[in-house]
Amino acid sequence: MKEQLHKYLCPYCSTKFEAFEDLKDHALAAHTGEPTPLPEGMIRLTLNGDEYQIQVQPEWTLNYLIHDKLGLTSPKMFCDRGACGSCTVIMNGRPILSCMTLAIECDGNTIETAEGIADSGHPLVETYVKHHCMQCGYCTPGFITTAKALLDKNPNPNEEEIREALGGNLCRCGTYPQHPKAIMEAAELLGESEGGK
Amino acid sequence: MSVQEEYDRMIEMEDNIEFDKYTLKDFDQIGKKDVRRLDGTEKASGRAEYTMDVQLPGMLYLKFMTSPYPHAEIKSMDTSRAETLPGVRGILRYDDPDLPEVADLGGHGPTAMAPLPKVAHFEGEPVGLAVAADTEDIADEALRLVKVEWEERPFLLDVEEALKSDAPLAHPEDFPENNLEVEHLEAHGDMEKGFEEADRVLEFKATRRLHTYVSPERPCGVVRWNGDYPEFWLKHQRPHENKRAISSWFEHIPMNQIEMHMLYQGATFGGWTQFYWNQGPMYCASVLAKRTGHSVKYIFDRRGDFYGGSMDEGNYYFKVGFNNDGRILAVEAKGHFSNPQWEGFGPGNHFEDNTRIPNLHAPRKVIKVNKGPNTAVRCEQLPNTMSFTLVMDRVAAELGMDPIDVAIINDGAKGHDMDWLNERKVEAGFTPRDSLKECLEKGKTAIDWDNKWHPPGANKLSNGKMHGVTFSWTHEWDDSCGSGEIAMRVERNDGTVSILGMRCDNGVNAETGYCQIAADELGMRLEDIFYRPHTDTGFFPMCPDSSTNTGVNGWAVRHCARLLKAKILEAATSPRAVTQRGIYPPHFPDIKPEDLDIKDSVIFVKTDPAQKLSVAELVGPSAEAGPLSFHELYGAERHPFSAPLFAHAYQAQIGCYKGFRPKFCRQVHFMEVEVDTETGEIEVSNVVNVNDVGKVINPDSCAGQQYGGTYMGAGRALFEEVVHDPVTGVMLNGNLLDYKIATIEDCGPIDTHLVETQQGYGPYGATGIGEDIATVIPAMLAPAVYNAIGVWIYEFPITPDRVLKALGKI
Ligand code: FES
Ligand code: FES
Repeated sequence: MKEQLHKYLCPYCSTKFEAFEDLKDHALAAHTGEPTPLPEGMIRLTLNGDEYQIQVQPEWTLNYLIHDKLGLTSPKMFCDRGACGSCTVIMNGRPILSCMTLAIECDGNTIETAEGIADSGHPLVETYVKHHCMQCGYCTPGFITTAKALLDKNPNPNEEEIREALGGNLCRCGTYPQHPKAIMEAAELLGESEGGK
Repeated sequence: MSVQEEYDRMIEMEDNIEFDKYTLKDFDQIGKKDVRRLDGTEKASGRAEYTMDVQLPGMLYLKFMTSPYPHAEIKSMDTSRAETLPGVRGILRYDDPDLPEVADLGGHGPTAMAPLPKVAHFEGEPVGLAVAADTEDIADEALRLVKVEWEERPFLLDVEEALKSDAPLAHPEDFPENNLEVEHLEAHGDMEKGFEEADRVLEFKATRRLHTYVSPERPCGVVRWNGDYPEFWLKHQRPHENKRAISSWFEHIPMNQIEMHMLYQGATFGGWTQFYWNQGPMYCASVLAKRTGHSVKYIFDRRGDFYGGSMDEGNYYFKVGFNNDGRILAVEAKGHFSNPQWEGFGPGNHFEDNTRIPNLHAPRKVIKVNKGPNTAVRCEQLPNTMSFTLVMDRVAAELGMDPIDVAIINDGAKGHDMDWLNERKVEAGFTPRDSLKECLEKGKTAIDWDNKWHPPGANKLSNGKMHGVTFSWTHEWDDSCGSGEIAMRVERNDGTVSILGMRCDNGVNAETGYCQIAADELGMRLEDIFYRPHTDTGFFPMCPDSSTNTGVNGWAVRHCARLLKAKILEAATSPRAVTQRGIYPPHFPDIKPEDLDIKDSVIFVKTDPAQKLSVAELVGPSAEAGPLSFHELYGAERHPFSAPLFAHAYQAQIGCYKGFRPKFCRQVHFMEVEVDTETGEIEVSNVVNVNDVGKVINPDSCAGQQYGGTYMGAGRALFEEVVHDPVTGVMLNGNLLDYKIATIEDCGPIDTHLVETQQGYGPYGATGIGEDIATVIPAMLAPAVYNAIGVWIYEFPITPDRVLKALGKI
């Protein structure tokens, strides 16, 4: 224990050194030019296009980080344990459940929430409003993120594919039949704007 | 009271009983499709704020200890280790001197309950201890450090067991004699005679297992004391009740010193909002917030949201006498229900309100067991729709008759036929229309009934499954009771109109509907009207826990808009102002208000529309001389000032379901299923809903209730069941992995149609729709499955194992 305390640890590669000078020489020789390593528990995220560097506790979920700490209200906790999809965010292009993901494991990742999707002017938000895809609205952001991730992957989904993609999203108000309509219309609008480019 | 006496009293009590005499000539926004919903962008972008989202500086989290036993008393409790846990800021025990023995804790009327009870009457009940800490995790950890000595008591889960003479007592504190809380009776006619005269008599029993509301947003709330003044964020449907109850706490807090915030709500469908004690956690939070100087937020975990269920849980015993032509002569419907929290309805009400069946005997036993409380969960009519659907369809099946013919032959009300009902329509001021027939016309075509309906077990599909189809019907949704108030003001500068009322949003898009009504009544553009849900304006609309947004608040909005319009026209024809500098002439001199009208937010002279003035011009701008006027620096042509334009209106009415108002609008529903006789799996493959809503305010909102309710109903019928372990009394599936609700895949196409007979008690003859579909759909699964496989299954939910059992396969 005592011995360990006197050792110097390279923050880049964890090699141990007896003397600080040795560590310094090593760091300059082996790691010059590398970005400064983050202290333990510090993660970097790109959230809705913004860079974040934030200290997290090992037990924090991504949902807790985004919702409670960063104040974005869209990832909603409905079921509390991976069964409802309300807390869905898009991480590196894939829809994931933020309630089942540890924040500390998200270092370096790119995350998108419903707020980001809305701010980017994605047509889904408008088609969702038009087709009344929300009633109480609690589940809606989770549907929006799931739908956006689907459209990113499959720009022209048919009803079957949409139903399958949304199979993990619960809506107690039963807005289900409206989502395929809204998603297909958004796909069409996206297609038009792509075509127009 | 005789039917006639009841009816006379109804006329006496209702000032608005007469059909809306002031129906608009032209509906513009009312009834229009594709009206943009006000809450759309907020909700789609995730920026809509719910109580669960509220975070205040230094806020503490409050968690409750829950009972591990279905019936037990706390003998002693050692909280010393929890108290010293870092991050714990406050602990409240059942024996805390700041806790009163009982307080008004909301629910369905005033209550007197212990905020933190010492005896648990069901497993999972929050009892004995509440901990406020810096984080939820710390609060949870503190709860784990507490040592409790429990005295376990015998418990009961089953209503029939509870009725036995030697049964232990489930709630000895409140019901020391036996477990029968109360027995209600709904009856008319002479049963003996009815059965005697009937060609046939049949008896059967049905069971509905416990199911619950599963609110997407769990029970939660926040309180903060600003000096002596408390501020609350509540996830409840009944802000007025909450405020009343809160004001009685701490030896009275003046009503005008309490501030309430009702944000958007992850829907509750009645549920949590109607349980007695639903403000128990808020009471505890208030004590601790006061004591610690911090704001406090209480949150239940997901399991805690399974705390209570729907009040149709129980057993139903039917005896039906009917003739060979389908006329039903006598219905005995007995209900044994678990833990209903309030009087509610027995299994007989819909026979009373929908049919001419002359003899009815429907007693309802309210029985205490050691499970959570049950209440209205979209909705309290579930026992009724269950009885009504099962009896009607069973009679049709016995006779080999088309269930639609059985419906038509029995249509009526209070034991009387349609002629009697039509007379009542006329008396009430309506033009009689045959709502059932109008609905059936649309519905039969939509489902292709004449081709699809077949004898039981007669249609094997090419996929090997058995096809079934069924029909059920009922009356208009009847929660037209209640009261609500609304205010409106014209904003200075741009002349837009704000509707002021406390928000109580449950997702039904009511706020948009109010704007549509106001726009048409005022003659203003829809985009000039906004529902401004000031969190505590003091104007409490009727809450949405009934289908009352339109039925009650719609009236209040209508009244208010009319008052405001009169004020606007009055202002336009009166001197603009009387000031120290003189009198400023009216905008429309020598014209009477009645000679003016408003269209597209512009006031004009009816006989000469070129003479016009926008509402914005009428109210004028505000400027440096305060909110109402400019200094008159620029000469007399400037507006000197214009008086504020504000109106307030209310509506109070007794509902149909108090027995005073017959119901005139009918609703019909069709369902198709495919049953796999190998696996027992049922697929709801097609549903058609036709609702006579009297007058459509917002067709998209109506459709939302139709398909939304269908999904909820299908889930209830197919798999929703809260299971308790009979040995320990512990709830086994209080989470969304083990308790299934319908997903997008769990229902086939849903076709929705609306009928407008204008025979409802809401404005323009409208009536509510929010509760009908989710309530009628569940019971329809039994006749649908019967039509598919020729076997009746009367145990709900109708799960695959129950199907296989009925088929004798297991
Ligand atoms: S809250 Fe994450 S899946 Fe339900
Ligand atoms: S809109 Fe209420 S849960 Fe989906």
